Amino acid sequence: MLLFSIVIIPVLAAVLSALLPARLRGMANLAAHGVLLALAGILAYRISPGSGIVAFGGVLRADALSAFFILLISLINLAALVYSRPYLQEDIDGGALSVRQARGYDILFNVFAATMLLVPLLDNLGHMWVAVELTTLASAFLVGFYNTKASVEAAWKYVIICSVGITLALLGTVLVYYAVAAQAGTKTLDWSVIMGRAAGLNPRIMSVAFLFILVGYGTKAGLAPMHTWLPDAHSQALTPVSALLSGVLLKTSLYAIIRFAMITNKAMGPEFTSRLFIFFGLFSVAVAGIFLLAQKDFKRLLAYSSIEHVGIIVFALGVGTPLAVFGSMFHALNHAVTKSLVFFAAGNAVKKYKTHHLHMIHGLVQTLPFTAAAALVGLLSLVGMPPFGIFMSKLMILSACFQKGLYGPAVLLLLFLAVVFGALMFHLSASIFGHKPKGIESGGEALSMKLVFVSLALLLVLLGVMMPTPLQALLVAASRLVTGGGL
Amino acid sequence: MTLFLLTGIMILTYAMLVCHRIPALIQNFRLQSLFLFLVTLDFAVRQKEAGVFVVAGLLLLVKVILIPSFLNHLVKKIRVDERLGLFLNPLLSLIAALFLTWGAAVFCAWLVSDSPAVVFAAFVVSITVVLVGFFIMVFRMKALTQIVGLLVMENGIFLLASSIAGGMPFFVEIVIAFDVFVCAIITGIFMYRINKVFTHIEVHRLTDLKG
Repeated sequence: MLLFSIVIIPVLAAVLSALLPARLRGMANLAAHGVLLALAGILAYRISPGSGIVAFGGVLRADALSAFFILLISLINLAALVYSRPYLQEDIDGGALSVRQARGYDILFNVFAATMLLVPLLDNLGHMWVAVELTTLASAFLVGFYNTKASVEAAWKYVIICSVGITLALLGTVLVYYAVAAQAGTKTLDWSVIMGRAAGLNPRIMSVAFLFILVGYGTKAGLAPMHTWLPDAHSQALTPVSALLSGVLLKTSLYAIIRFAMITNKAMGPEFTSRLFIFFGLFSVAVAGIFLLAQKDFKRLLAYSSIEHVGIIVFALGVGTPLAVFGSMFHALNHAVTKSLVFFAAGNAVKKYKTHHLHMIHGLVQTLPFTAAAALVGLLSLVGMPPFGIFMSKLMILSACFQKGLYGPAVLLLLFLAVVFGALMFHLSASIFGHKPKGIESGGEALSMKLVFVSLALLLVLLGVMMPTPLQALLVAASRLVTGGGL
Repeated sequence: MTLFLLTGIMILTYAMLVCHRIPALIQNFRLQSLFLFLVTLDFAVRQKEAGVFVVAGLLLLVKVILIPSFLNHLVKKIRVDERLGLFLNPLLSLIAALFLTWGAAVFCAWLVSDSPAVVFAAFVVSITVVLVGFFIMVFRMKALTQIVGLLVMENGIFLLASSIAGGMPFFVEIVIAFDVFVCAIITGIFMYRINKVFTHIEVHRLTDLKG
């Protein structure tokens, strides 16, 4: 019942959004996503011991790993929803959007949320594939929402490149299916069943299958060099949607990769996936670093920073020790919270200065003090300063790396991170401080926006200073699942 | 019988590369999907499984009837230049396709060395279809050719699923078919929008976003 409610609530909210008038619609959505977050919390709490919950005759299945991702998605969804309200209202007042379009946004937002929440709950790998593809299709409209040349171009690239990626992932899924059928004669794509028999699967087929999976879902997760669509889509989307794309959508694809990696590891040992993860992780951080240095667009800057962080998460999965995997999950959470905070701040800045260009956005402290504070907190957290969560997760990942004796990769990672640090500090400090251009008035931050900023910033500090015990239990259970051993 | 159908798919795949005009490409895709339907039907008859018949019927409905008709309708509606815009002429494209086929054969020989000849052939044809689909996406200029290329890639994977693994679980096939349909519609809508905002659908001219 719990799993079913998590899937059905956003669908109901989408239907209500189509029917209700504006004011009621806002309240209904807020209620729906508040309840969703509460349910995600209950799921996470209930599941901690390490057992799975099954519903609908096995179609829906949740273990600690799914519970963690559900929690992540519903948290950022709620933040994005609260932020959307004043953001869209401004667009409506300014004539950039019509009231009808705002209703369309609410419907699409909920459909998008439903597809994302579905991914971690589906046991069957074929169904999971469909859900991931549906996330692309649902969010494509949100990327091309303003219907300008740039946004339509971004949406097109997004749909086409991600669909090709996803198609390759389907090829990988079919190969896994073939390997299972050839080995045991059982025709199934149920993850829980395959996991039980993974030990005897043909390693050659599994290695090819995993490559397709990694390249395929990796395209959607934003791993370099398949990331080319990401800066376009993330910068052109409506800001609340940018936060969702960067904060959680990338991670739902990572979730799919993790599920397949678990099977592959069981079939052929962890060496193979580990090397690939470390390579793609480092490569993504390096590519992101280079593009960050030369970046001129505020939102693209943040998009490249997402590629960097996905790289770190994947790298940590490659290190593969319990501490590293714990760190990678924790990093996924920290990044989601931080990136939403910075994207929201960027959205406000872009609206105020009416430009995406970094060299024209100066003196945020004077024009939008709250936004500037949020951007500063987000910036410090993004580059990995204490006392924020990302500092802790990076520390875990790096120390796990040294513990395992992977000195070369660790040093490379540190080097690339230093580049990223310099680039982000250079660009964003100029925007936050600096002198405000003439003709731009101060003020104009809605109360609900301030509320979102404060709660996300507090959450970041909380994650960095002391991790709540239930969250820690959940992360331990999830990483134990992934590594298949104790912690 | 299976070999005959596989040969048919192979010929149609190559034929896509010599198409010069959009309607011809769509028609070719329709025929390829028809052969895919026949492969699945053949399998259904031999297995005598009701589920596989349903999947075959769905393929016929979605890939042979609905999607090509929708694309044709769209092409008429946006009234663009019907030429595909080739980055690589048909002869060179065919030569490239031969190399792709050879590569697919080498790859499959390594991957499934000890399988029966029919399975091996099906493997090679499927991988070739996927590769050619990707080739069409890259070396043809129009947005529409990217949609068709994507659909061709998916045809290759469907072929692989039904000929080597004996078809995926019933419910999975149904949702995937549905998803392919939705994907075709949505990409179609975006193509329509591109034409509206840019007044052309040539993807190599979409270069506003960089860096």
